[in-house]
Amino acid sequence: MEGGTVVMSAVRKSSMVTGSGRKIKDNAADWHNLMKRWDKLNDEGFDVATNIVNLRRSQSDHLLLENSSSSSSSSSAQQVGGVSELEDECFKLQEVINKMVAVVTKMEHLMKLQQGIEDLEEFQFKGEGRKAPLFHTWNTKQFGAVSRVLFDSFSEELKLKQTILQELAHTSSSDLCMVYLSSWLHQPFIPTHTRLTLEALLLETGHRPL
Amino acid sequence: MSRLAVSTLHDVLRKSFASLESSQKLWISVLAECSLLMVSLGNLAEQWRALCGVRISNTPLRGFPDLENRLRSKLLEATDTVLVKLNEKMFSLQSIRDSISNQVSAVLQLYEQNADSLDLLAVTERSTTTPSVADMLEWLQDAERHYRVQFLRRKTLLQTLRADDLQFLESAPKRWKSLDSPGAQEQITDTLCKVSFFLESR
Repeated sequence: MEGGTVVMSAVRKSSMVTGSGRKIKDNAADWHNLMKRWDKLNDEGFDVATNIVNLRRSQSDHLLLENSSSSSSSSSAQQVGGVSELEDECFKLQEVINKMVAVVTKMEHLMKLQQGIEDLEEFQFKGEGRKAPLFHTWNTKQFGAVSRVLFDSFSEELKLKQTILQELAHTSSSDLCMVYLSSWLHQPFIPTHTRLTLEALLLETGHRPL
Repeated sequence: MSRLAVSTLHDVLRKSFASLESSQKLWISVLAECSLLMVSLGNLAEQWRALCGVRISNTPLRGFPDLENRLRSKLLEATDTVLVKLNEKMFSLQSIRDSISNQVSAVLQLYEQNADSLDLLAVTERSTTTPSVADMLEWLQDAERHYRVQFLRRKTLLQTLRADDLQFLESAPKRWKSLDSPGAQEQITDTLCKVSFFLESR
């Protein structure tokens, strides 16, 4: 129960954080770790996606050459090799996406945990809220808002990546391939200020010194 | 009288060439960093071009209606970051140019001050280990001119670049490369070889 929530002074004694404060602080650390994991997967996925585009391009070049000259059995063997290599890369990208799905699922879980903390506070303080903030200045609802914003960004970005996975190996337009790669790399649904939001969360919860 | 003036000049010339040697290394390394940034700029320009060539609503990405604006934003941000870094590199190049210019100015000033006591023989005399004062002054001035012109040309090119101007961005890496002056760079390396014994002697 909430009897253990004692936050004396988050600035001086962050190690004494218990109860809701403890949960929120742990959540913040989890958000940080999940975002780091996501970034690593993004880089990995970008390398694989680039390979897919290059393989696709060399396949098309092969086809062009074959059509313009007489075909030979050695070039068709090369084709088969190229196709299986492409399949391997697509499989790798699928694996990256699967891992990203796991990350976003954990993010959703964090968001729900935060909602639970808010509901508990609502119940305890009968809608009047805490008299003092759990950490420095944020009220409990702000943590929930941050979780929701982060989760929404990453889940929309995941949908985009899933679309890219489905389409990348089947796209003949080199411009569109470039747009897919560009979208994967630059993550348009994760605005730059998301990183700042995370930093703010880490500052507030005492993971980063003020 | 002449001997003393030559000896004083030699001291300052040694300092200048030592400074030129370290400046050249730094210049080359900063230019190498700029080349990498130019490659990034070229890549970004390619991405811009591709985005212009695609109508998102006609592609499987149509399910993300604000994707185009968001991607444009990100590309703009990334391009801006590269341009800012390039401008920072320009400050480094400027500081190298200024250092060489100041050094060469100081040498020439000293020469002017002692010109009365330096006859033609004194300034053209050379040995196996020591080039003539005249030659060394000329080499320093050539080096100083090279860095001055190079900096001006590269700075001018960068000033034409805007994050939202695709045409100039696309041609930037090629134009940057065309400013390379391997001949002049080799001449400076050559100069430093020629003065190596002079620098070691005292």
